[in-house]
Amino acid sequence: MLAHLGLYRRLVLAQVRSQLRYRASFVMDVLAVMVTSGAEFAAVGLVFASFDRVGGWRLGEVAFLYGLVELSFGLMDLVFGGFDPDFMGAAVRRGELDKLLLRPAPLALQVFGSEFQLRRLGKVLVGTLIFALAVSLAGIDWTPAKVLYLPLVVLGMIMFFGGLFVIGGTITFWTVESVQAMNVLTYGGLTLMSYPMTVYTASLRRLFTYVVPAAFLNYYPALYFLGRPDPFGLPGFAPFLAPLVGAFTLAAAFVFWRFGLRHYGSTGT
Amino acid sequence: MVPPLTLEYAGRSMTSPPALPSASAPGARGELLASARLFVEVARLALRRQLAYRAAAFAGLVTNLFFGLLRSSVLLALLAGQDSAYGLGARDLVTYTALTQGLIVYLSLFGWWDLMQNVYRGDVATDLMRPMSFYGFWLAQDAGRALAGLLMRGLPLVLAYALFFPIVTPTSPTGWAAFLVSLLLAGLLSFAYRFLVNLAAFWSPDARGIGRFAFTIVGLLSGFLMPLAFLPGWLREAAGFTPFPHMVGTVVDVWLGKLQGAALARALCEQAAWTVALVLLGRWLLGRARRRLEIGGG
Repeated sequence: MLAHLGLYRRLVLAQVRSQLRYRASFVMDVLAVMVTSGAEFAAVGLVFASFDRVGGWRLGEVAFLYGLVELSFGLMDLVFGGFDPDFMGAAVRRGELDKLLLRPAPLALQVFGSEFQLRRLGKVLVGTLIFALAVSLAGIDWTPAKVLYLPLVVLGMIMFFGGLFVIGGTITFWTVESVQAMNVLTYGGLTLMSYPMTVYTASLRRLFTYVVPAAFLNYYPALYFLGRPDPFGLPGFAPFLAPLVGAFTLAAAFVFWRFGLRHYGSTGT
Repeated sequence: MVPPLTLEYAGRSMTSPPALPSASAPGARGELLASARLFVEVARLALRRQLAYRAAAFAGLVTNLFFGLLRSSVLLALLAGQDSAYGLGARDLVTYTALTQGLIVYLSLFGWWDLMQNVYRGDVATDLMRPMSFYGFWLAQDAGRALAGLLMRGLPLVLAYALFFPIVTPTSPTGWAAFLVSLLLAGLLSFAYRFLVNLAAFWSPDARGIGRFAFTIVGLLSGFLMPLAFLPGWLREAAGFTPFPHMVGTVVDVWLGKLQGAALARALCEQAAWTVALVLLGRWLLGRARRRLEIGGG
């Protein structure tokens, strides 16, 4: 186990070193990532100059949802980049995955260490800034329990989105390219979770509560942190399911990953 | 999977004299006619190449629809039960998301890197040798690509919206005509801007960062991310001094019938003026770029 961790560390460090080799180019990349995700939130923030609330939520409260999911997704993208269906699809197509299968180290570990893009910290940074804005505007009544629970919510979302990446990446064993339906879940889920569930129609809300449990990862925890009542009348423990939902998604995803590997036939290239 | 048609094929069919009327029609008029034929042919091949990817287009369409659903949910929630805000009602807002989602591919709103890639790969040398103006060649290619985007993504998306949601459509023949003119101008303006941005590749060895900035500004100031009417007054005024609102905002306003009479004429003239200005700037800058171009390779 320790040897494996050491291997992961070396794989990641090698990539970080090469990415930092061209310093100016790296800084430009990080800035570009920050500008892109920053502009999307800026559009939302600017609209609050014309409107008080969206779905009954003020700017600080929406920023709480937006910032938290943005920074969690950024962290997930950093760690699970190797499973990203776009990246995995290309690896399967080029036969890179076959190369990894021949090496005497666990495959998942190698995939984890195969695409570590430090520039994705740009998204994490933007998410953190938006979250800081939320904390300063929303007037949260911090308690020790809330402080302890916050990192678990982030972890829940990392595991949830990471699970979606693993599932999408596994599908490329058969399809060889990224499946758009998965992108709707990952990037669509990211956008959906950036706003309060009160914004959506009842059918969309039920779909993303009971079929895809996205609502439990960001919206319900936010209700707890912001001290808002639940307008949909779910049991009182709903805000605390985030880490469980995340862990379950990731575990199910790796079961599917192992099933996929048993049936992996390579493209022959 | 159908292999993409290469443009070398287009070049070859172009140089065969019998296919061209210029061989028989002498003088400047004949030459003009020949380059028009050439333009149409390049555009047609670019269109055909895109039409080969129908499954991908369908998947993209579903994604556009889903994000459109999320975006209209947020916009309708802003209304909070009021009939309208800042001149836009619920039906206007749903129509706005349909149109903006439908324009993504037509205007390459998420970025366009084709020319930049050709510069970095050195393929630009081949482009410069074609029997056609460099600017005209790229414009023709983009026209074909944009038309495919309109046919496979824009039109089906707006039709799907019209089927399931109450949307607004132009009510008079003049309204439709004005919309088509505005749509065409927006396409040209967008190409002229994207071409300018891509020209940065002639000066910088890594212009992708510049490109990302440039395309992000479009999203914010064109009225793509949020309706311009919902942005603060100072930002709207600042955007008014740029060509960006004429890429998306004007097209949507014309469709919604928010611009009538003199205001409509003025908006279309401004759109045309910006298009001419950016095309001229692009052509001038291209001249400078060609003089400093070095192709590595061997």
